Amino acid sequence: MSRSPRASGYFRTSYDQDLALVQTRLERTSLGVFIVALLAFPLIASPFQLDLACQVFLASIGSLSLMLLTGYAGQISLGHAGLLAAGAFTVGILFREANAPFWITLPAAAAVGGLLGIIFGLPSLRLRGLYLAVSTLALHFVVIYLGGEYEARRGFSTGIVIDPPKLGGVSITDARAWYFILLGAAAATLLVCLNLLRARTGRAWRALRTRETVAEALGIGVASYKLLAFVISSAATAVAGALFAYYRGFVSVEAFSLFLTIQYLAMVIIGGMGSLLGALLGAIFVTLFPYIIEIGLLALPGAQRHASLLFAMNYAAFGLVMILFLMFEPLGLVGMWRRMQSYFLLWPFKHRPAAGSRG
Amino acid sequence: MQLIANITVLAAIYALLACGYVLIYRVSRVMNMAHGELAMLGAYLLYTTASLFADHPVSAIAAALVLSLTVGVLVYVALMRKMTGQMVLAAILTTIAIGILLRGVIVLIWSASQQHPLQVLKFSNPSIELIGGARISTCAALMVLATVAVYGALFAFLRFGRWGMRLRAAGQNPLLAAQRGINLNAIYALAWALSTLTGSIAGMLIALDSGLDQTMVVIGLKAFAPALVGGLDSLLGALLGAVIVAAAEVLAIHYIDPLLSDVVPFLVLIATLIVRPWGLFGTREELDRV
Amino acid sequence: MLARVLAAALAAAALVCSANAQDAYVIGVTGALTGPAAGTNGPPIEGLRLYVDRLNASGGINGKKIQLTVLDDQGEPSKAAANAKRLLTQENVSLLVLSSLSSTFAPVIAETRRANVALMLMGAVCPKEVYPPADLLQFCTTAYAGGYDSRATLAFIKETAKEPVRIGFAAMAIPLSRGEIDYAEEQAKAMGMTPVDKEVIPPPTADYTPFATKLKDANPNWIFSWAPWVTQVKTFEALRRLGWEGDYITWAHIEAESELARLKDGKFYVIGANSLFQDNLPIHKQIVEEAKKANIRYPAEQMTEGWIGGLVLEAVLKAGGWPADAAKVRAAMENVKVDTQGLRGGPIEWSKENHFRTRQYYRVYRWDPAKSAVAVTKDWVAYDVK
Repeated sequence: MSRSPRASGYFRTSYDQDLALVQTRLERTSLGVFIVALLAFPLIASPFQLDLACQVFLASIGSLSLMLLTGYAGQISLGHAGLLAAGAFTVGILFREANAPFWITLPAAAAVGGLLGIIFGLPSLRLRGLYLAVSTLALHFVVIYLGGEYEARRGFSTGIVIDPPKLGGVSITDARAWYFILLGAAAATLLVCLNLLRARTGRAWRALRTRETVAEALGIGVASYKLLAFVISSAATAVAGALFAYYRGFVSVEAFSLFLTIQYLAMVIIGGMGSLLGALLGAIFVTLFPYIIEIGLLALPGAQRHASLLFAMNYAAFGLVMILFLMFEPLGLVGMWRRMQSYFLLWPFKHRPAAGSRG
Repeated sequence: MQLIANITVLAAIYALLACGYVLIYRVSRVMNMAHGELAMLGAYLLYTTASLFADHPVSAIAAALVLSLTVGVLVYVALMRKMTGQMVLAAILTTIAIGILLRGVIVLIWSASQQHPLQVLKFSNPSIELIGGARISTCAALMVLATVAVYGALFAFLRFGRWGMRLRAAGQNPLLAAQRGINLNAIYALAWALSTLTGSIAGMLIALDSGLDQTMVVIGLKAFAPALVGGLDSLLGALLGAVIVAAAEVLAIHYIDPLLSDVVPFLVLIATLIVRPWGLFGTREELDRV
Repeated sequence: MLARVLAAALAAAALVCSANAQDAYVIGVTGALTGPAAGTNGPPIEGLRLYVDRLNASGGINGKKIQLTVLDDQGEPSKAAANAKRLLTQENVSLLVLSSLSSTFAPVIAETRRANVALMLMGAVCPKEVYPPADLLQFCTTAYAGGYDSRATLAFIKETAKEPVRIGFAAMAIPLSRGEIDYAEEQAKAMGMTPVDKEVIPPPTADYTPFATKLKDANPNWIFSWAPWVTQVKTFEALRRLGWEGDYITWAHIEAESELARLKDGKFYVIGANSLFQDNLPIHKQIVEEAKKANIRYPAEQMTEGWIGGLVLEAVLKAGGWPADAAKVRAAMENVKVDTQGLRGGPIEWSKENHFRTRQYYRVYRWDPAKSAVAVTKDWVAYDVK
């Protein structure tokens, strides 16, 4: 998709230039600064902040895949937590039963995710909108039930403990090592998503989302692209779940509740539908939100007394923020960002030129 | 015989909760995922009014019912009105967010420990013996009676009442109804109020029967399956769906494995979605706005 | 692009950790203050806080105050792990206290192993790693523990029953409860009782009647339930509604005392290791007074576990001296004997091998309809912990 250039005097003279991710010199420099900042962060951060950053990266993998499915392909899925659980449990089961190393479990998790994606995606061939959401919700409960049964029958009373992955005989336990691993995984997911969207698949998904019948009429295989969306998204989500299992060193079915799905949906919606930047912003916002609330609550007098109310406050505040975004800012954080951007870009003018008059 | 009694009671719970989903969906095509939380709120309101009106249980119950009506109207007017016409996902997420907000607020106001409105109202809940040696508790019997009464009232209201007819009209074709002079906002508010009322009745009776805590939300979610199985815009379907799902659940617990009780409603749901997505009595529709 | 940099920078800046008071004992607590397990795991933390506040008000231990950092994990394993990581690596606590669901144990224990800090389980069920030979880092003050609870209960049933026992079991569908009930079933068979039915009930159940129906149909005269309180009591109520008249014995969780008064059923027994407040010992009076002064959210009678935790903590820190780091605290814990002043049947003694207690005492209470009050049915019975 071509974007309107933000620098004047910049002309694209080939299709490659048009499709390129980083175009102007300003974009190149800011990307460079950003990468340097990300790489330098572990040197100055406390372990707690490193942990937060790792959580943000894990969340962004999940939210990017959900954005692909819901924001671009237009398929509502309420089964996200079930897919994360599937990835985590694949790692747990393979580790416990077969002592498999990570270069077997991670691809296995992706495969399981893809398979589940087909199952979750089959209803989408017949159903739309609400009914699709409900079918994915029901499948989520089935996956969770199966996970719980596995835990119970195999005697893992307190969950499955997983050793950290070994690379050349050395266990990866250092927080900084994990930071870079997860940063790499998130960056890889982002690149995959960007490329998918620039290519034929992305165009097909956008067509699907806008008007299915017209897409079919244009010759886009609706069924296969819908399933493809589910498969890719679910595989990525399962890998996120697997990485989560390795990072925490622990798998248990309680961590994958319906609330987790809702958090990912919130990331997508609060971030801004139909935009990968939105997925990232949403991931950052939703992951950091409880800690911000906690700091705010602890800053009040009588702090320790209120600590027991923290969970309820979190819930209430989260619900409230979601409602406010849905009602007043349907375009999400990305919408706010774009408004801020256009204010600076267009200054001293207030509005873009009218449609039809380029320049 | 006991099995049949158990099925009837569970079906009554599901039916009472399901008709709330159906009312709102039929009128405004919105899926109210916060129904379980609203039912829970109704029960907590009863607990509070019971504590306030310690010696007048009847006024306590009446006050709680009136309060839940107002809550329903408030939720629509303050929150859902802005979401009309938006994408389906946004509307569903708004109701989910309302549910989350309510859960947090309930814990903040009433704390998470279990409460016993029955005790506060100073009622007792003896078990009644039925034919064939089956036993159910008084509150469970009340629940069945309440379901019958509520459904009868709703059927009569929708069929013969003036506002009932307007509700049905708004559900069938909002644009025409609006042009005919029907105040859509008032209709939607009425639907939300009725839905919250029936949900609260269910919540209150469940709380009286077996105590009040946060697990009621899960029942609300499970009750969604009967609503869908019967057809999201059909009251009769909700009733039948409730019977089917309740029967499946109780029989599965009894003959297969008690642990299935959580999953059975959703399995029935999946089966329905595969075979007949619009439910037993629902209207066939294509939901195109996503 | 720039937004991401700004957001990351803001987040980093906003989360500057609070300054550590260097001049105090730093103890970390993670527990289910809210969430489904809060009913059982929240009050012990409040009780501990009550005790520590009282200690600090009267000057602290060895002249130093105790700084208690409490984090909520909502009973979720990943949150508990995150809390543990934070407390251990950032706040540098000398001791970690855990009061949450058993599913949180494994990740928290892994974190404490990495940091080599002792873990005290208080209000959370004792894992078998604290029985001799005990794991280096795990200690437990909680009343209930797998294995011994069933033995004590079955012994009581055998003693009290006036006819051959047909025993039914009720568990919650969480692994610990199922495991204990399975063990109890075996033991019952070995003791000559006839197990007739065992029901495993999923946690968020709307209606307990179907499970109670199956139990009642098997016609037991005694039923034993070892699970979180909600399952125990709701199964009982459903059974009574169905007209079952037998004896029901269950574990005395902290909610037990008020519930006994609510149910008013003479055949509902609770067995536990804590004494109930109706005994009105001096220690109970003291706790009630303190709770009233501090305006605690929970009823005073639920403070027992936390108070016992506080008693043990005081003894440990006193013995550890000052300055106390994690290693000294752990060493002090291996050699502690605490008089529970009547809250338990006997003292809590920890040794290198035994991080549970040398003897576990049990008492059985029930509601006595004749006296219209809670009464002791069987006084303290001791079991040696081997």
